Amino acid sequence: MTASLEWGLLAPEFLLAGWAAFIILIELFWGGLGKERLGWLAALGAVAAGGLSLIWVDDATQFGELADINDYTTLFRVFFCGIGATICVLSARYVSDRLLHPGEYYALILLAVVGANGMAAAHELLTAYISLELLSFSLYVLTAYAKFDLRSNEAGLKYMLLGAFSSAFFLYGIGLIYGATGSTQYAEIGEVLSGDTSDIEWGMYLGLAMMIGGLGFKVAAVPFHMYTPDAYEGAPIPITALISSLSKAAGFAFFLKLFAVAFLPLIDDWRYFIAGLSVATMAVGNLVAIQQRNIKRLLAYSSIGQVGYLLLGIAALSQDAASALVLHMIGYAVTNLAAFTCVILYYNWTGKEEIEEYKGLADRAPYLALGLTIALFSLAGMPLFAGFTTKFILFQAAAEQDLLWLAGVAAFFSFVSLYYYLIVIREMYLGEPEEKTRFPTPWLGYTALTALIAGVFLMGLYPKPVFDIVEDGTNTIFVSEELDGGEDLVGVP
Amino acid sequence: MIPIDNFLVLSAILFSLGMYGVLARRNAVLILMSVELMLQAVVINFVAFAVYLNPETFTGIIFAIFVIVIAAAEVGLALAIILRLFRNRQISNVDEADLMKW
Repeated sequence: MTASLEWGLLAPEFLLAGWAAFIILIELFWGGLGKERLGWLAALGAVAAGGLSLIWVDDATQFGELADINDYTTLFRVFFCGIGATICVLSARYVSDRLLHPGEYYALILLAVVGANGMAAAHELLTAYISLELLSFSLYVLTAYAKFDLRSNEAGLKYMLLGAFSSAFFLYGIGLIYGATGSTQYAEIGEVLSGDTSDIEWGMYLGLAMMIGGLGFKVAAVPFHMYTPDAYEGAPIPITALISSLSKAAGFAFFLKLFAVAFLPLIDDWRYFIAGLSVATMAVGNLVAIQQRNIKRLLAYSSIGQVGYLLLGIAALSQDAASALVLHMIGYAVTNLAAFTCVILYYNWTGKEEIEEYKGLADRAPYLALGLTIALFSLAGMPLFAGFTTKFILFQAAAEQDLLWLAGVAAFFSFVSLYYYLIVIREMYLGEPEEKTRFPTPWLGYTALTALIAGVFLMGLYPKPVFDIVEDGTNTIFVSEELDGGEDLVGVP
Repeated sequence: MIPIDNFLVLSAILFSLGMYGVLARRNAVLILMSVELMLQAVVINFVAFAVYLNPETFTGIIFAIFVIVIAAAEVGLALAIILRLFRNRQISNVDEADLMKW
């Protein structure tokens, strides 16, 4: 079989990878550029790649039998490039103050975006696995990037060892599934499983469980979350933001596509397994978050709690639930980036990251305190903000799939989460600041914060445009499952 | 021809040994070695399935090659991070890396 490959379909990924190499070279040969401007340059590359991927809006074609280029891919390409660009901009000041070797730093962020794109685009398990490792490896290095910071070293070590351990499980699971179904293509696996499943061996189910474990690690679901708080606390803050948004979103993009296309026929077998994971994740994430003293650890546990809500969308897998899940993920990523923007800006000024050190922030930087308040309220799911709308749609989709009890549990833990977010807000507004001086205004940081906050409000008050785009995207994975076999191999002209 | 079961059992034993190593060892380098053992078990699995169940396509073999390559990259990366920790703190045991606790 000789499938001719149309390399142009991967142009955004080539652009990102090429831009990463370009950034390293620029840093090497043009030292006069300055460390901050390097970050903006990297962000420019990510934005360009995101724009380039818009060429394939409403297109549905394939790269070989390796990657789908359709609305689902385009949606996530734009989303991931947006996250990458935001992180580059937010890193600019932090990196120039505190880290060595900025060229490689930005290059690795861009490569992580390439990996994330590949995970969303993958049409079969090998592509997905390689993309997943590209993303993970970039993140391992970035987590340990502060060379002389002991916590960063330690975080990198833990993340790396546990990541390698979990990817071994994931691979063994792929192996068993390949053995049981004879294919690594999602669609073909789905076809085999939707036929007579009585003669499928238990190895298949073991493989499925192992894959869920491996994926659970990538998205930090309990009980595979042990590395999360340490990795989040030790990593440089912009990288914490990157792990909590990009790595999670890419994990779910892959999770959703794999389960919608390949494992949907077995939904009765894994639904309650995932539902159980979801409950455990919500409980541990939200309850342990209450006793945290460090803002990064607090956000780490809160992000674990959010993963619980997202898993609910997988447990209730249907087209509505898939759209709701992606919408909640986008809302969560935007909100989370807004929260991290505030944490990064505060750290740039003071170098502090304990929650009690936020006291009196409202007097010293009112806009920052307001931004962080909005972001935290949105994470807790207060009305007006993105968190409420997206959670509402998600819980509704779950309730329609007879998982009302699960939606009830999720709503309960949303209330619990409000408590620990309010602790931070109380420190900022009611605490007495140690000094009264105002902080200087970081214009670039505030611009980014304003844009993200606007996104939070947009998704909270008028989510329809975003929802329509998301629905177009998730349509493609559900439709292609029904029509498989009828598609052309490649979109050769 | 040797039945496929033999290969699968070998692979399962290797995988379990690797898993035991990861959970029982304290030294980061030895944990890494155990992870490698697990990955090699995966490779045996893939090759066995490719040869016995699906001899006309190469998916399993190609997968095995990629797993080997990625495992090599993984070792390089992990050793660099372990070395960093050793230079800064003179430790290589994972239970001594305990600055952060929940």
